[in-house]
Amino acid sequence: MKNALRLVAVLLLACMCVSVLAACGKSNNGTTKGDEPGPSSGVYVPYDPNKSYTYKDAVVQLSSNWNPHTYQTSDESYPVDFITAGLYSFVFNDALHPVEGKDPYSGYAIVPEMAASLPVDVTTEIRAQYPKFNIPESATEGYAYTIDLNPNATWENGEKITADDYVWSMQQLLTPKYLNYRATDYFAGALCIANAENYYYQGTTAYKENSTAGAYSVEDLVKNADGVYCTPDGNKMYIAIGYGLDNWLGGNSLYAYVSHYGEGYFGNLENFATLVAMCDDNGLVPLTDETNALLSSVTTSNPAWGETDADLFNYYIESVEYAPDFSADNIGVFKSGEYQITVVLGKSLTGFNLLYNLSGNWIVYRPYYENSWTYQEGAEGEEGIWTTNYCTSLETTMSYGPYKMTQFQTDKSMRFEKNENWYGYTDGKHVFVDPVDGNTYSMYQTTAIDTQVVAEASTRKLMFLSGQLMGYGLQAEDFDAYRGSEYCYATPGSTIYFFIFNGYKAAIDEREAAADFDTTKYDLQTMTLTSFRKAVAVTYDKDLFASTISPARSGAFGLIGDAYIYDPATGARYRDTDQAKLALCEFYSVDPADFGGDLDKAVDSITGYDPEKAKELYNEAFEEALKAGFITSADGEHADQELVIEYCSSAPSDFITKTLDYLNEKLAEVTNGTAWEGKIKFEESAPYGNNWSNMIKSGMSDTVLGGWNGSLMDPFGLTDLYTNPSYQYDAKWFNATAVVKTMEIEGEEITLNLKQWSDALNGATVKDADGKEYCFGEGIVDVEVRLNILAMIEAEVLSTYNYIPMLLDGGMSLLSKQVFYVVEEYNAVLGRGGITYMRYNYDDVAWAAYVEENGGQIAY
Amino acid sequence: MKYMFKYATQRILLMLMTLLIISFMCFVLIRMLPPAPLEPGDPHTAVIEARRAAMGYNKPYLVQFGIFLRNIFTKWDWGISDKMYFGREVAAVFAEKLPASMIVNVYSIVLSIPIGIALGIWAALKKNTMTDHLISTLTMVVISVPSFVYAFLIQYFLSHKLGWFPFLMKGGTDFFTWEMFVSMLPPVMALSFGVIAGFTRGTRAELTEVLTSEFMLLARTKGLTKAQATIRHALKNCMVIIIPSIFGEFIGILSGSLIIEKIFGVPGVGSLYITSINGPDYPMFMMLTVFYTAIGLLSGIVVDISYGFIDPRIRMGSRK
Repeated sequence: MKNALRLVAVLLLACMCVSVLAACGKSNNGTTKGDEPGPSSGVYVPYDPNKSYTYKDAVVQLSSNWNPHTYQTSDESYPVDFITAGLYSFVFNDALHPVEGKDPYSGYAIVPEMAASLPVDVTTEIRAQYPKFNIPESATEGYAYTIDLNPNATWENGEKITADDYVWSMQQLLTPKYLNYRATDYFAGALCIANAENYYYQGTTAYKENSTAGAYSVEDLVKNADGVYCTPDGNKMYIAIGYGLDNWLGGNSLYAYVSHYGEGYFGNLENFATLVAMCDDNGLVPLTDETNALLSSVTTSNPAWGETDADLFNYYIESVEYAPDFSADNIGVFKSGEYQITVVLGKSLTGFNLLYNLSGNWIVYRPYYENSWTYQEGAEGEEGIWTTNYCTSLETTMSYGPYKMTQFQTDKSMRFEKNENWYGYTDGKHVFVDPVDGNTYSMYQTTAIDTQVVAEASTRKLMFLSGQLMGYGLQAEDFDAYRGSEYCYATPGSTIYFFIFNGYKAAIDEREAAADFDTTKYDLQTMTLTSFRKAVAVTYDKDLFASTISPARSGAFGLIGDAYIYDPATGARYRDTDQAKLALCEFYSVDPADFGGDLDKAVDSITGYDPEKAKELYNEAFEEALKAGFITSADGEHADQELVIEYCSSAPSDFITKTLDYLNEKLAEVTNGTAWEGKIKFEESAPYGNNWSNMIKSGMSDTVLGGWNGSLMDPFGLTDLYTNPSYQYDAKWFNATAVVKTMEIEGEEITLNLKQWSDALNGATVKDADGKEYCFGEGIVDVEVRLNILAMIEAEVLSTYNYIPMLLDGGMSLLSKQVFYVVEEYNAVLGRGGITYMRYNYDDVAWAAYVEENGGQIAY
Repeated sequence: MKYMFKYATQRILLMLMTLLIISFMCFVLIRMLPPAPLEPGDPHTAVIEARRAAMGYNKPYLVQFGIFLRNIFTKWDWGISDKMYFGREVAAVFAEKLPASMIVNVYSIVLSIPIGIALGIWAALKKNTMTDHLISTLTMVVISVPSFVYAFLIQYFLSHKLGWFPFLMKGGTDFFTWEMFVSMLPPVMALSFGVIAGFTRGTRAELTEVLTSEFMLLARTKGLTKAQATIRHALKNCMVIIIPSIFGEFIGILSGSLIIEKIFGVPGVGSLYITSINGPDYPMFMMLTVFYTAIGLLSGIVVDISYGFIDPRIRMGSRK
């Protein structure tokens, strides 16, 4: 009996253990299996239509204008994802949308959405049939496409969306009468609708900054009979004197600079007065040999301004005169069937980039749109202006996407509910295969989206913990508590933040020569020494820096962030390539051989921090500075002068204070025992406001944590930011045309300067010293060649130590237990699936009960 | 009465002139601010510039001000927002948002003025007792702590820990429903603490002084009880100071509170002014400037005239 009891006890214990273990085994979504219905494997699981799943979102700023023709910021476009649909859309690569060579959910596929099928290239036919679109004679593809439209697409009221809607909407978008903000998106970027620019600017003269338009030098231009230079297209060129130059002078005019700084920075003011006298009403002077020489004498003769004749092109303006009365019929979007449009492009676009650029939409609901315009009279002698209130309220909004707007209160809240007329709920195509259970689910399980303004992060946090919000973006003070939570998700950003280090010797000399600068006590010139800059570069542990001052971010080591994809078709990232890894190893002097040739291990070993090396370099810098006469040393071992590095501040902030505290603390640690002990510090500048970048570019301030980002699909385009003086922070002390590099490409030794390598990489045709032409643009050479060039440029720019990478942007957020993502890994295009793929552990009623059970406070 | 009318007319004419001058100054100052910068090379710059030119922003300021006045006087057109609420009439946006601010402020005042005055009277009557010390100390503490601190404390304890109130004011315009009322209590409370303390301190100080006046002694010697003397004489005298403060509070109803509205999601006008400057949204800024300046100036006149009604000894505009 006793043994029987023991046996029963053992069996019971075993059962309990099994039960406990089973209960501990969480499903992928972080809930127990018992919380979810258990569908059998590989079946289609429809959602219960009788249950409601409300996604509760919070924003700091509520959109007030989601008109596709006029919205300006990403905050404003918030509703667009819900109430509209693009011609094509992105979906994860799952069993229904497989991508060769990619594991499920590691990439994406592009599928027709408002289109019925993929675009058909009709370049040859359209070129022959419609000469008005000016498709180049040599072009056989990439300029014209027919797109079949989804015949099931309707507005939320059930009215069909036809080709007429697309054509009419494009004409409204581009009409010069309305001056729509988004019009330029359809001709100034990659997606360039044929004749859109001519229609939009008809009858006007546009002035384009040469530095961002053609970047013509005088040699590239054609001289007219009257001596005025023109572009090869015949557009007149001018010199901007009283005309503000956004790109080159931060919106100021040369006249403003010369008036302010005078002889201190410019030469030959008499010649400048001559130029001013020649200005037209716009502050422009025609570009001739004579005016160019006058300009050169002003901007290049004073070393303080530090420009050469090679910089003159930045002051040129190209005037483009557009023909008047340009008909809307000439716009490259026209109806070729009741449910078919033809799109003609001014610039070739193919493959992924074409579909990517058609993943948005421009259509508007005609009855609402036509009634939305108000005319405001202009000043006497001026045309008035039209302003629309389309898509600024519930009454002026007509959805055609998966959701429709059902409530809107200015600066308070908006609500979206399922649009029962959306084709996607019934076409059987908007489904996905779950990567874990293999079952097929409908997209858009969310039945409603409630969005409200919650301005304060602390309120958002409390609401989230009370189960009233679906997500909460962690603040600095939350990281310790939540970064280890299984509901915490990291989202990498695209921006790299680096210290831009002042190396502009002429400006530094000028500052030291100022009357109030005591050279016996202070020094700035040492900053320009490479040894000193190298020392600073290895003074800081990048990851520690990030976790101290901005925990959501991580340390950065290269100039190009982790999120950049070099092959959009596969989602392959630049930073994962051998070329990128080797570039980092080269810059940080890490030998992969020390890691058995394992590049990943070699890169993982890089921290950017080497205090011993830093000490050596600081001492080396001391010797060099002493030798150069930058500093003195009474005892021969320590610098007499203090090196105060001005941190360029746009406005005081906690972030800057924390940054400087950290920098100074670590600097003191590393310089301890060196010749610079207690002699170097970072100090915050006076607030420079928007002028901070000019202060850095002109060498009047010494460092700042700045950053660049670009298109995530185009890491190659980033090279322009570091080699083109129009963008460079260090243009005054780093000339990319003076750095010559030789590379072996497809068996040929090619020698070009760094700027040429960058230009050629981005599709321009450049000539080497022998006049031989090269272009390494997309589709022209193998992608491996392009990666080699990109890595070479990255390593070369890093080696200047003008940019010291410090932070990789990113964020962390908590996700409510009510929902879960179908995929953990962040995808650069789809994120973690968003509303489209969002799945629910609890419907609204069950969630309310769960929150109640937990006393209104959910633990994460 | 004749003098009062003349005085009021003079003040109103002066007010209109002041309003015009202030409006012009603000008009020029806001337009001297540069437009929000775009990235260098941003193709939208041309559109922005073209719109600014068409709106006359490149014309001389006097011409622009003339257009502004012309539109108001001929069409009662305050302009269309070109930044914050693109395409919407600024007057309509303001009118849509004003009720939420007003109702929260009205509740706050209705709650806080009686409590503040009552506590002030109590403290004054119990001068130099423990009750007075306690009320005075609490008053100082409450006045010293900014209202947003109460706001966060209310959210943490009453909304999060106890779950008594929602975190945010309810959306919609059903201002007189129970649900809406409950949702408004947290901002009302946060707004009220400071006002209660202010009135308590003011009433106590004034009443304490009046209670020690010689005429109060006379009133008591005439045979009035302490309560009769306090209500009939002391309180009436003390109202000369308190009633203008009450007027001031009611005028504040229209302005909303930047911080409290932000924290509790009150869809009011509290942040309109500052965001219209940051925008910059010229039409919105100018409408708010004219509105609030006019209200401020008008309230000055009303308060001044009210003195004459509260205290017969004060005569406005009469000859000496």
